[in-house]
Amino acid sequence: MEILGTVIGVAVKSLIFIVGMFLASAYLTLIERKFAGHVQQRPGPLHVGFHGILQPIADALKVLTKEDIVPANVDRVLFYMASLLAFVPVIMILAVIPFGEPFTVFGLEIKPYITDLNVGLILALAFGSISIYGVIFAGWASNSKYPMIGGLRKAAVLIGYEVALGFAMVGPLMMAGSFSLREIVAAQDGFFGAFIWYQPIAFIVILFAILAETGRTPFDVQEAEAELVSGYNTEYSGMKFGLFPLAEWYIGTFVLSAIAVILFFGGWKGPEIFGPLSPFVWFFLKVGMMFMFFLWVHWTLPRYRVDQITEIAWKVMLPLSLLNIFITAFIILIKG
Amino acid sequence: MVKLKFLDRPKLSIWERIIFLDFIKGLRVTFKNLIRKTITTKYPYEKLTPPKRFRGVHAHRVKDGNEPLSFSVLGKFMEIGYDESRCVACYMCQQACPMPTLFKIEAVQLPDGKKRVTKFEMNLLNCLYCGLCVDACPVDCLIMTDVYESASYNRENCVIKMDDMSDRGRDFDRRRLKEKDRIWIDNEERTKLWGQIRWT
Repeated sequence: MEILGTVIGVAVKSLIFIVGMFLASAYLTLIERKFAGHVQQRPGPLHVGFHGILQPIADALKVLTKEDIVPANVDRVLFYMASLLAFVPVIMILAVIPFGEPFTVFGLEIKPYITDLNVGLILALAFGSISIYGVIFAGWASNSKYPMIGGLRKAAVLIGYEVALGFAMVGPLMMAGSFSLREIVAAQDGFFGAFIWYQPIAFIVILFAILAETGRTPFDVQEAEAELVSGYNTEYSGMKFGLFPLAEWYIGTFVLSAIAVILFFGGWKGPEIFGPLSPFVWFFLKVGMMFMFFLWVHWTLPRYRVDQITEIAWKVMLPLSLLNIFITAFIILIKG
Repeated sequence: MVKLKFLDRPKLSIWERIIFLDFIKGLRVTFKNLIRKTITTKYPYEKLTPPKRFRGVHAHRVKDGNEPLSFSVLGKFMEIGYDESRCVACYMCQQACPMPTLFKIEAVQLPDGKKRVTKFEMNLLNCLYCGLCVDACPVDCLIMTDVYESASYNRENCVIKMDDMSDRGRDFDRRRLKEKDRIWIDNEERTKLWGQIRWT
């Protein structure tokens, strides 16, 4: 009975998380389109609902009802699998992200996270890396030139930034002394306890890595619409096409922003000015700010070349993160 | 022999390297644009008025007393009532047109010897809106209006007829006949800048 209750609880919670993330990502597209529009001095979606508030629903209906074309000579298994492989692992990162402390409603203890693994951060990194295989498989399975180049570019970039990302996360981990995301948040006390004050170098490296992993603009070599038609998803259509940007640009950026917020900005901690809801409000406020920052960078910077990205990753970011580990270890050794 | 000159990329200063100064400059530009007002027109709901010399859908001016002198000569041989299209079927527009087959102009001789235009149709699918027909018209009849929404659902609707053209011409003259041409408005400014033209 005990196990059944746990299973039902986890299932219901997962369902809420997945459905919530779907809806949230639909509205993240609206936020992105509004933001991009105003950066270019145009208003963005405006006519479907008040200031385009129903635009994501109209878009979803349109994408779902579109004709789904599978080209003749594709590798069918990989072609179908690629869009799922890009989408599912990214949404699975949500399993380890804590949204707040456990709280009690009507005598029922509710934990606003699905699991609290003691290797949560490693799991998040692993799932983030697996979702990149979706891009690479899509490039390979399409049996076409542009997707192939896009997939290969992504593979080339992947090798560069994953190493720097892994090493950069070691700094906050050493200060927290745990891989569990909850304990990392618990280790940051008060305004000046947030790790951003102690780990600025790691933060910059992680910003770089998140931009590269989610394929946002300075590093969006895999779809580079000016050079490769649409990159790895050129041959896709319908909802299979819709899943790629949804997974990479919206859910991926959102989830990795959440991880960056947990690592550097103290997660859900903040002054309790919003009553009992304040942890959630603070968390989503911080993640939203982080997401907006990525949008801001996206709509500002031009694209780097692949060799420039790998050069930055190996020659600048990796030494920086190693230096950061060295300094952090030294200070921890001295202060005890 | 062409000499090749290789230039090194300008080196970034130490501050630009450390705090990403050029990134911050770019971010500042986009932020300025973000808080600026949008400059778009909400097209189907609000439409911009083109300048008077805009080359839009064709129209016919009607006989309303503003005819040029040439019409008093040609009009003697024509059977045209007041407020009717002042076309004299001279075929000048068709002669001037780079795609002459888009015109279908027909006229008949009445028993009293006068001429009456029975048909003036233009297939705008073939028109490239160059305006040569307008320049060729001797009686200032064929004009181009500021109407630019000429799309329709089938091909037959793209052929414009004489009656519609007279209506459009009446409407255009009612709205914009009195309006000054920009080129003459600017003339005063031009005179101020570069002086008066003196004829000998």
